[in-house]
Amino acid sequence: MLKILRTIIFGLLLFRAVSLNAQQSRVDAAYTFLQKGDLDSAKANIDLAILHPETQLDGQTWYVRGFVFKTIYNQNEKSNKESVSRLEALISFKKSISIDTSYENILENIKNVKYLATTLYNDAAASLDTIDYKIAIKNFDIFRAYYLLVDPSTDNFKQKEIDFSNAIATVYTQIYEGDRQGKADFLNLAKASYNKALTFDPNNINANYNMGILYYNQAVNLIRQSDYDLDIVALNDVQDNSINLFKASLPFMEKAYSLDPNKRETLLGLSGIYFSLNEKEKSNEFKQKLEQIEK
Amino acid sequence: MKKLLFIFVSVIVMSSWVVVSPDQSEEANAKIKTIYIYNFTKYIEWPSSYKEGNFVVGVLGTNPALFSELNKMAISKMVGTQKFEIKLVSTPADCSKCHIVYILSDNSSQLNDVLGKLKGKSALIVTDKSGLATKGSGINFFVDGNKQKIELNRSNIEKYKLKVASTLVDMAVQVK
Repeated sequence: MLKILRTIIFGLLLFRAVSLNAQQSRVDAAYTFLQKGDLDSAKANIDLAILHPETQLDGQTWYVRGFVFKTIYNQNEKSNKESVSRLEALISFKKSISIDTSYENILENIKNVKYLATTLYNDAAASLDTIDYKIAIKNFDIFRAYYLLVDPSTDNFKQKEIDFSNAIATVYTQIYEGDRQGKADFLNLAKASYNKALTFDPNNINANYNMGILYYNQAVNLIRQSDYDLDIVALNDVQDNSINLFKASLPFMEKAYSLDPNKRETLLGLSGIYFSLNEKEKSNEFKQKLEQIEK
Repeated sequence: MKKLLFIFVSVIVMSSWVVVSPDQSEEANAKIKTIYIYNFTKYIEWPSSYKEGNFVVGVLGTNPALFSELNKMAISKMVGTQKFEIKLVSTPADCSKCHIVYILSDNSSQLNDVLGKLKGKSALIVTDKSGLATKGSGINFFVDGNKQKIELNRSNIEKYKLKVASTLVDMAVQVK
């Protein structure tokens, strides 16, 4: 693949040799430095070329720039999840597509955009933890923008949105569970993310189950964190609030159950919700189903 | 150009199933009942001869979550100067030294035996099955609109020489 690209670039440069001028030679020089592995000089030349009116509106200038920055990314910044060169490369390839709409140019730029977008996606996945989650969000947002640029079909992207929404919701839940008082906002963020996944796919079992568990755990924690000194009036309020949360949990867990009636976690969840709503018969019904599948 | 694969799905599978603990709902229910029981000690007064030694709560029946929650409460709370002592009671005969006897729903059929053993004593009998406040228990847990509530039979409490505050009476459903 690298050979083909080099051939294309070489051909283009050869064609331009007949109309060489000072600025065009900047583009050529950038390419020559790139071939020699002198990335700093390649970058310096191509950055001058994009500033000059003679070359800044040429799709090939931006394509070469994209290639220079992509090479810098591959050689020096591959382990940097927030690589600036990768972004510069993507900006350049996008600019090239907008200027030169010839089939060959678009094809070559799209290949590079797809490659770099995929690295963003994978870096987003690798950053899905309680420390780097903001990098994950940022990378996924950039990935989304460039992926849709080269493949506007929303159907192809839907599953990726669902996967990311579910995964980031899990991270938000972990942050919340680590400090329920101090990080209460993350509970709402987790709910919003599962809701987003459900907007794309109301039958997503993962989002339904986890949304149910979020409400369920919120209700249980409300009761468990109550002090023994609570008077009966205040205890009634706690019960009212927890019942509302258990009831909010129920439709999500029921949906998850309807999508996979033999999933152990869902049966446990439903048994727990009904127990907490003091509907012991229904709770036992799901407990028995669980015992049956575990036989 | 090296082809990259999307590695995302495996990461998601690893991270996205939060599992519920089956004990959580039982623990939450036990906490509600324990808060009620601690409230009973604040609104009911035992005769002075019962204000020495430990304050004994006997549990007739098996509910590990409740027993555990009562013991947690016993560590941090007291009744006046008395420390809590939570006892598992296996027969009605073992109830005679308790300040509170909590008969779990599965053991409701033993209510009459408990009543017999507590004659002349000062104990609050707490039950957990519909209708038992009319059959001898002082306070009975019941469910109303998904909520755990209590019904209180004042005469059943006072016949054991216990004084019940009107505040508690007002907060309960009264049964005669």
